[in-house]
Amino acid sequence: MKQELDNLNITNQTLEKLTGFEINNIFVGGVIGGGYRPSIFQKPKRLLSFWITEILVLVLIFVFTLPIGLLFNRHPTNGINEPSEAWQFLLVTLGITLIAIVSWNLYMWFRVKQLRILMHLLDEVDKYNEVVQAVDILDRLEAVGNSQVNLINRDEVLEALRVTKNTLIAGLMTEKILRESRISLTRRHELFANIENNLATLRTLEVKERASEYGQLLNEALQIGLSVHREVQNFSRFPPRS
Amino acid sequence: MNYFSTVIYLLRDRQAFLQEINQGVKLQSKIFALMISSCCFFALYGAIVGAFHSPLQVLSSAIKLPALYLITLLVCLPTLYIFNVLFGAKESIAQHFTLLLTAVSVIAILLCGFAPVTLFFLITVNDYNFFMLLNVAIFALTGIIGVSFFYHIMKPNADNDPEQGVKVRTNILRFWLVLYGFVGSQLGWTLRPFFGSPGKFELFRHREGSLLSAVWNSIRHLHF
Repeated sequence: MKQELDNLNITNQTLEKLTGFEINNIFVGGVIGGGYRPSIFQKPKRLLSFWITEILVLVLIFVFTLPIGLLFNRHPTNGINEPSEAWQFLLVTLGITLIAIVSWNLYMWFRVKQLRILMHLLDEVDKYNEVVQAVDILDRLEAVGNSQVNLINRDEVLEALRVTKNTLIAGLMTEKILRESRISLTRRHELFANIENNLATLRTLEVKERASEYGQLLNEALQIGLSVHREVQNFSRFPPRS
Repeated sequence: MNYFSTVIYLLRDRQAFLQEINQGVKLQSKIFALMISSCCFFALYGAIVGAFHSPLQVLSSAIKLPALYLITLLVCLPTLYIFNVLFGAKESIAQHFTLLLTAVSVIAILLCGFAPVTLFFLITVNDYNFFMLLNVAIFALTGIIGVSFFYHIMKPNADNDPEQGVKVRTNILRFWLVLYGFVGSQLGWTLRPFFGSPGKFELFRHREGSLLSAVWNSIRHLHF
């Protein structure tokens, strides 16, 4: 990837700095104490990773419940070998494991509800990074002499991506500030105005480039910008916490 | 989701990994990844060890071996943390936990390294006492390496801390390592059988005696 496109990419490290959470493809805020990203249900690979994590956590919890199971069978005469004793042991350990895994999933679901806007913004960041990758692929096709790829308006596409990146970053910052919260109304309007300016720029670029091969990418960038705008508007309905 | 990449990172660049722990970088994801990967490695070795007896023992040992190492760690963690903090350590409990898990992961990886050897003897030798002694030797060796690794990474630094605090904390660490070994061996004895002696499958044996007396009995039964 060229340096300019590399700079446009929004990395997980940047996201972590902006949001204050550990972020990966499946979880926001880590496995312990965080929530799963709703987008995992739209991407089979991520969903598979999520289910594997669920199974691994289940095994891990079961491992840690062994002493509790032993506690309930404290005085077996010949260890735990008889079917009734083994059954009691398994009932305790598996029961606790099940309760723990259900509680963990409920907690994660609760966190997803709490961080709904952040989750949506992160999905938009994913879409944005995909657009950056698409531009990179077009660049590489052009580099190997594919004449069907037109790079006439590349600079304007990069400009649109820069604006989109700024919009996303402003959106994420707004979300974090409002989440953590004691933001003044002036500061809130300042951030909101910044996002609206970016959106206006994106709209202008999109109208100019509608006819070119890059029109679709620009449209994608505009959609991302609009989505961020919508989410921040949602935020502005809630009064700042005192 | 790639939890094993954390272990690979630890193996490839130990200094950078430890530095990140000291700086508190991504501790939560490190803790989870190390827990998951060490649990998988222990389960794999446990399954090989249990294969000496029966499929049920494979399942049982694959659960018990991770339990042995991870529960020992959890039981001993508060002692280490509280004593260290009391005598001037600045690391958080999460940092202590991550460092401990790093050492346990090293033991798990070493055990996995021995897995082909154990598998070879499992196939070629049909002697319970020999197999048990071989594994006790492997567990002892990997345990010593893991513990010395932990001692090395946890040893207080004389450059950063007052001399008196360093001395006390080094002694605490030594005492704690003995405690860790003691708790580990006792938990191992409580969770036995791991190998499964010839005969009927047992989930947990009756609690009696200690690990040391069992090893001594096995040596006596070898008929040198």
